Amino acid sequence: MIHVKHLTKDYKRVKRREGFLGSVRTLFSAEYETTRAVDGISFDINEGELVGYIGPNGAGKSTSIKMLCGILVPTSGEVLVNGLVPHKNRMENTRQIGAVFGQKTQLWWDVPVIESLKLFRDIYKVPEAQYKHNLELFNELLDLNEFQNTPVRQLSLGQRLRADMAAALLHNPRLLFLDEPMIGVDIVAKEKLRTFIKEINRDQKVTILLTTHDMTDIEKVCSRIMIIDHGRIVYDGSLEQIRAEYGKQRKLVVEFEEEVPDFSAPYATLDKSEGKKKWFAFNRFETSPSTLIADISSRYPILDLAVEEPEIEEIVRTIYRGKPEATDIQAK
Amino acid sequence: MKLFWAFARQNFHAIATYRFDFWLRASSIVILMYGIRWLWITLYTESPGAFGVSMQQMVTYGVLSMAINNLFFTGPPYYMAHQVRTGAIDLDLLKPLDFHLHMLARSTGEMLFRVLVLALPGMLVGYFLFDLQLPANARSGFLFVVALLLGYLVNFHLDYLLGLLAFVSIEIHSIDWVLHATSRFFSGQFLPLWLFPGLLGTLANLLPFRGTIFVPLSIYTGVLQGGAAAHAVWFQLFWLVTLFGISRWLWGQIQVRIISQGG
Repeated sequence: MIHVKHLTKDYKRVKRREGFLGSVRTLFSAEYETTRAVDGISFDINEGELVGYIGPNGAGKSTSIKMLCGILVPTSGEVLVNGLVPHKNRMENTRQIGAVFGQKTQLWWDVPVIESLKLFRDIYKVPEAQYKHNLELFNELLDLNEFQNTPVRQLSLGQRLRADMAAALLHNPRLLFLDEPMIGVDIVAKEKLRTFIKEINRDQKVTILLTTHDMTDIEKVCSRIMIIDHGRIVYDGSLEQIRAEYGKQRKLVVEFEEEVPDFSAPYATLDKSEGKKKWFAFNRFETSPSTLIADISSRYPILDLAVEEPEIEEIVRTIYRGKPEATDIQAK
Repeated sequence: MKLFWAFARQNFHAIATYRFDFWLRASSIVILMYGIRWLWITLYTESPGAFGVSMQQMVTYGVLSMAINNLFFTGPPYYMAHQVRTGAIDLDLLKPLDFHLHMLARSTGEMLFRVLVLALPGMLVGYFLFDLQLPANARSGFLFVVALLLGYLVNFHLDYLLGLLAFVSIEIHSIDWVLHATSRFFSGQFLPLWLFPGLLGTLANLLPFRGTIFVPLSIYTGVLQGGAAAHAVWFQLFWLVTLFGISRWLWGQIQVRIISQGG
């Protein structure tokens, strides 16, 4: 579906000089500086995949997505979307993709939602039967009928994003870009959007690339995750894989029958102690939970037990910080 | 064509939101028609025969120019500048539409809307209240519609080219102000171009602005007839083709070096 090889994008920007006189001088002689936003990234995405595309602000996410949309011309490298070179076939390419940018709306601000959808129907030349069918689908999954006659400016953020989602899918795109589609949305609305994303991916086989800063989105929705930082892909793999590679650290939560003094077990360190509960951190390659439990239960009677896996967010934070492991994994 | 109507439809839906704005525009047209009629009648009473045409023709010219006042400036440069500045231009480029055609459809949709809610009612009011004459014959009437459409297209391309500057230099409001003023002056909206003296007259006859308002109005009032009218339409066509060519070329240049902001 998507094939990207050694894709690079440089931005040329006017170098700003400081102060008033500096700005005036810039009017006459401008110096340029080049920044590399995307630095030779390569990846392939197959039809029907649901990929989480994450990275800190300014990492090159939006730039790479814009190149996939054909609205930005790459400096070098290859990019193919469903066999098309996006920037050479912009119009053809846009027919097979849909996009939602959480921070911008493509709906007409002053007119009811349904009128914007009608306009998109005409722009994309959506057949009437398909249009009706999709509207029914959106009513069912997004409760579109609750607010379809309300002007966009009077919608709540959650409703607006649902309307934008409907607009992006009206022409049955094969590929959907979601760039922070849930930014600022409350938990209930978020859950609805997540379910919707999963459903269209599963039922309509729409390939989805989801950009988000909320790791819960990734955990609940995506099967694969790509992490980009400083214009480079620093991780590409499944969620389980990332947990296996990075999540060596586990925590054993033990609740004792009564309060006991602090202690540490072999290959495990006491992380936290709270009343009758204690948290032991251990590396799962150095010791197993069962040996650890055996050791602890030989000391004090245990009431309850749990093993905590590290949060994906914590793992991603380690990768952002640029642990040397990151490069190892890409090499594999 | 369906696309043009689709955009026009959006404006009908938006009008409910801006009712006050609509009534303000409508009443300003009436005031302007009244004012220009009063002005020409006064001037003709002071010095009859000084303006080259009959008072009826002049009043018709003036009143009609006010009635169609709003048709031309549908605001593509503002739209384009706004989209570029906010980065929302990405969303426009994500449509399976040629950008030039997209802007034309958007602008024409608004123009058609204004024809129906402002210009036609304005002409009726002009006809019943302000001595707006009908065209001398059906041929003039038909040619007027053709010339008005061409005039709109010439004006659109001037606006569109200005809007394209927003992609390069970002800030176009001051240039827009200058272009707008120049256009209104040289288009003959307030003063017919045959009254321009010497060099100014020659210049006005060469600039594309003559093709926007002056030509259709002169055809309507019968100042330009027969061969002269046909010649004027060719003049419009010449500028339309030229501006169209420049627009296509410039967009090709810009598209390659697009750097979208924001996001």
